[in-house]
Amino acid sequence: MITEAKESVSSGRSFPVRKHLNKLRWATLAAVFGMLILLPCLSVYQNYVAAHAYDMLLPGEKRFYDVMEALSSPFTSDPEHGLDVIKGTTWSGSFFGIKLSDPLALAGQSAASLDMHWPFLLSTLIPIVLTVFLGRFYCGWICPATFFYELNTNLGAWLHNIGLPVGNRRFDRRIKYLVLVIGLVLSAVTGSVMVAAVYPPAIIGREIYYAIALGGFGVGIVFFMLTLLFDLLVARRGFCRYLCPGGALYSLLGRYRLLRIQREVKDCNDCAKCTAVCEFELDPMRDDFGQECNNCTACIAICPTDALVFTLNSKDLAYQGPGHLGHLVGHGTDQKETD
Amino acid sequence: MKRRVFLQDLIASAVILAAPAVTGARSTRQKTGMRYLRPPGALGEEEFITHCIRCGQCSESCPNHCIRFFGMENGLSSYNTPYITPRDQACILCMKCGVACPSGAITPIPRDLDAILEKVRMGKARVDETLCLSYQGKACGVCYRACPLQDLAIKVGMLEQPHVLEDCIGCGLCERSCIQIPQAIRIIPNLARKRHS
Repeated sequence: MITEAKESVSSGRSFPVRKHLNKLRWATLAAVFGMLILLPCLSVYQNYVAAHAYDMLLPGEKRFYDVMEALSSPFTSDPEHGLDVIKGTTWSGSFFGIKLSDPLALAGQSAASLDMHWPFLLSTLIPIVLTVFLGRFYCGWICPATFFYELNTNLGAWLHNIGLPVGNRRFDRRIKYLVLVIGLVLSAVTGSVMVAAVYPPAIIGREIYYAIALGGFGVGIVFFMLTLLFDLLVARRGFCRYLCPGGALYSLLGRYRLLRIQREVKDCNDCAKCTAVCEFELDPMRDDFGQECNNCTACIAICPTDALVFTLNSKDLAYQGPGHLGHLVGHGTDQKETD
Repeated sequence: MKRRVFLQDLIASAVILAAPAVTGARSTRQKTGMRYLRPPGALGEEEFITHCIRCGQCSESCPNHCIRFFGMENGLSSYNTPYITPRDQACILCMKCGVACPSGAITPIPRDLDAILEKVRMGKARVDETLCLSYQGKACGVCYRACPLQDLAIKVGMLEQPHVLEDCIGCGLCERSCIQIPQAIRIIPNLARKRHS
């Protein structure tokens, strides 16, 4: 990784891929969100196909049918069964025969039933292994709630610019572990998977499905709106930072992740843009990433001196001191010499 | 390091102390008296609630669009769990929901007469003879004709009067098709959903 950094510095106008990962991440988030809308539509279309009653549909439904037919006909000639290959949400779904589920669903179910359903454990295996290697990447790259929360952050910045008060309180990041534990204990005591009711990505997947296929949003959308308001009025990205039980579980799983963002102290000029842009209240400028970092690469994208790189390491570096390109150049080099 | 050991001990002792409390709370917890018509192959109500992760895939895979979800109306424990209202849309026993269910709350059952008769226990139809047209002397028999398990689940006697038999599994197609308003045949959901021997 260090060699990569050297290359990008030495070759001048190279194209460091990592600087553009944040755009890729936005594309991924948008794609996941698009799928969450498309899949319920396709499910409704499948119902229409199964009913064999095109002539009985209302004009609007006919138009919907035609659009869905146009979208799906390149991929399958038998929509009634062929479209079953991709189903579900990010909470739990099947993808070409592979069932994938959120680890929090497994934790909640195990707590509620005091039992382990082995096929379900298998379906969470791929996300768990990926999280162990990549850390809390789900939160930054896939979570459909992140899509809204980051847009909400932008809205907050805009409101702040026009002079409206926006909440920027800080709490203890460890509150979310308490939320996770309380959620699981409540699940165990009541025998019902309570964590599913307070986990935004699960809520969004569900509510979009309800809205499209079952005729209207459910109660969950109120809870989600409240979390948006909480983020806007109390703490920026507050729900993900302080309250999300799934984020807590992913943080724990990804604690010893291998893929980490690291600061190259010799390229850093201590401008603090990374720290300001970090949605998760981390401090890349002082090498403080920790288990909360979701590898979202926003800090890499904004770094003006390309000082942030990916490394393979199971531990973060300790604070390396001020950046060598900063105002304290002399101080930095002094420190280096003494080291 | 000392703090860490202390925290570990704290968590361990909390788990040890909380375990009997949790199991005690579960066993003395008020058993639900509510009967919900769950999708075919669903576990018994107690187990179903603990296994369902509220992902909604049973409904998404249902080609007849009959599976709906509870809101908060029955409390938090049944929130977002699936149910069927046969009068609106009844189960056609396609058995796709069991295949789609990732968490084992709905067991997969092959779409095969013997397997369905053996394992599906959604509920049981019950005829209200004061409402049923056939019992009022106007031969109807629509419920019998709608039944996918004719002569196993329902038979008709004189004047097409329906009699529900032991093998009725509660799909609700009879209730859906009943021409009386309100319907003269209704599904009474099973609470245990295990086959009585």
